[in-house]
Amino acid sequence: MASRELISYDKGVAVKVLKWASPIFLTFYLVWSLLPLFIMLVASLKDLLDAFSVPKPGDWAGVTIFFDFSPTLTHYVALFTENGFGTYLFNSLVASIGSAVIAVTFGSMCAYSLSRSEFRGKKDLLFWIISTRMAPIVAVIVPLYAIFRSVDLVGTLPGLILAFTTFNLPFAIWMLKGFFDGVPYAIEEAAQVDGQNRFQAFVTILPLVAPGIGAFVILCILFAWNDFLFATIIGSGGAKTLPAATKELVQPQNIDWGKIMAAGIVTTAPMIPLGLLVRRYLVAGLTMGAVKE
Amino acid sequence: MTTRASSEGHPALSDQDWGFATVDQKPEIYNPQPSRMFYVYLAMPAVLLLAAITIYPFLWLIYMSFHKVGFGNASDVFVGVKNFARLFNDSKYLQGWGLLLKYSAICLSIQVVAGVSLAVILNNSRHEKILVTLFLMPMMVSPVVAGLLFYYLYNGTFGWYHWIFQSLGILDETSILGSADTALYGIILVDVWQWTPLITLITLAGLKRVPQDQLEANMVDGAGSISNFFHVSLPNIYPFLLIAVLLRFMDNFRFIDAILALTGGGPGNATRLLPVYLFDVSFKFFKLGRGGAIALTLLIVTIILGMILVKVLEDPARKKALSGDTDG
Repeated sequence: MASRELISYDKGVAVKVLKWASPIFLTFYLVWSLLPLFIMLVASLKDLLDAFSVPKPGDWAGVTIFFDFSPTLTHYVALFTENGFGTYLFNSLVASIGSAVIAVTFGSMCAYSLSRSEFRGKKDLLFWIISTRMAPIVAVIVPLYAIFRSVDLVGTLPGLILAFTTFNLPFAIWMLKGFFDGVPYAIEEAAQVDGQNRFQAFVTILPLVAPGIGAFVILCILFAWNDFLFATIIGSGGAKTLPAATKELVQPQNIDWGKIMAAGIVTTAPMIPLGLLVRRYLVAGLTMGAVKE
Repeated sequence: MTTRASSEGHPALSDQDWGFATVDQKPEIYNPQPSRMFYVYLAMPAVLLLAAITIYPFLWLIYMSFHKVGFGNASDVFVGVKNFARLFNDSKYLQGWGLLLKYSAICLSIQVVAGVSLAVILNNSRHEKILVTLFLMPMMVSPVVAGLLFYYLYNGTFGWYHWIFQSLGILDETSILGSADTALYGIILVDVWQWTPLITLITLAGLKRVPQDQLEANMVDGAGSISNFFHVSLPNIYPFLLIAVLLRFMDNFRFIDAILALTGGGPGNATRLLPVYLFDVSFKFFKLGRGGAIALTLLIVTIILGMILVKVLEDPARKKALSGDTDG
């Protein structure tokens, strides 16, 4: 608290300018950040005529026509009745939850054993794991597509789940290893003294890392849900997800913007609360555990 | 011996000060104990799955890059290093690297300046929590949806952002994506919109760990808050920023979703960054051999970047700075 008092000793002009500029910058950034989302929401509720009306360039007072419309849900209804978005929503749910559960189940077992054992080449193994996560998807998708096609996994949900697992599994292993590193070995030792075997001892400490496991399931769902390249190429045909289906609404002629904006809302809306739910783990998750809050 | 068997791997117990811990390393390797096998079994499913979905495609990629890949019944023809040799004469390939670097440099400069300023303003401010929550919402948007959303906003006849640009006199009738001079900035703005909050979050995490006593000591020496930022806070958050920049740079290799939705590489080749070009070669022209060669060069650069990242992460001094004394 002492520092606060000390800061008030600043009297330079630069400091004064900064004090003035800060709220302006903050307001500007807030608008810049949220305006696109707000426009997407409003455009999804407008009928086509309203959505296409903008004032003349320079006519700042004309902005009010943005709000001059009667809200309609036709685009949402059309998405689910005409475009089959129900199926895509189902595909998105199954593929992202499926891959998240697989990644975290196998990932926690692997992370635990990597955390508790020492062997030659462990560093190399860890680097290999993290590098599979960082590999550009465009670079590996061609061979992956060829392999998936040869075993008839293209256009199927199991295939898509497997494809999402390529980036979720290394993520889960890497993050959960950090979590298990923080659990003292003495707990498992005590469990073993009580007569449990090694696997039971492993299960004993799982509740201690449960918050982490839950958060990483959600982060894996988020990554898989938002993925586009795998979803269009591996999922094309029978397992289209929401982002892929949304992109397909863009046709060379006659782009139905109302529908596209509605599809964007349908894709985005579930992820915002999920993301905020794991807010505490977000930074760690997006920096591969390098930075913790 | 039994105590050792169960305590291996635990950092505190395998420490030298137990005396016997360092004595016999050899038998452990040559005569694996049952407990060691337990770890192997536990790790096996994940490692096998990962190997199947990464090593096999990787080998396939190497094979493809040395062949002219045939279609249907046509068989692959071995062409040696021709696929690689041709890359040096491929202007789009070289231009792709240039654009990728230019795009990343501009994106990252804007993101770091805006993200750090935002973090400094937000740190310990009254509404920090709610504002941070609002700011990070764009990060949850699927990149392809973000691309489509800005595609709509940039539209030359009814896009609201285009209207704003036009009203401010920045653009004439041509939309930002319509001209080769401005299209790159159009896709940069989308990346800035989505990912500046990540830099802000990372910087905030760093600012929370700047030692209070250093700040106070500097101020006792007569420094103001601006000097404090440059001489105390910035050196302290530097490792955080380095990681953020490296990660974002690598993501630019990974994610082309928004660019595919916005321009698909056009107009002309103005936004055909290397990963976008690779996508075209493989999925539009179906030149899988050449695509393999491009993919391999891209992968090698990513792996080198990854090695740098891991080095940065494992540098003991940085590790200490990053984990800090306060944990969350």
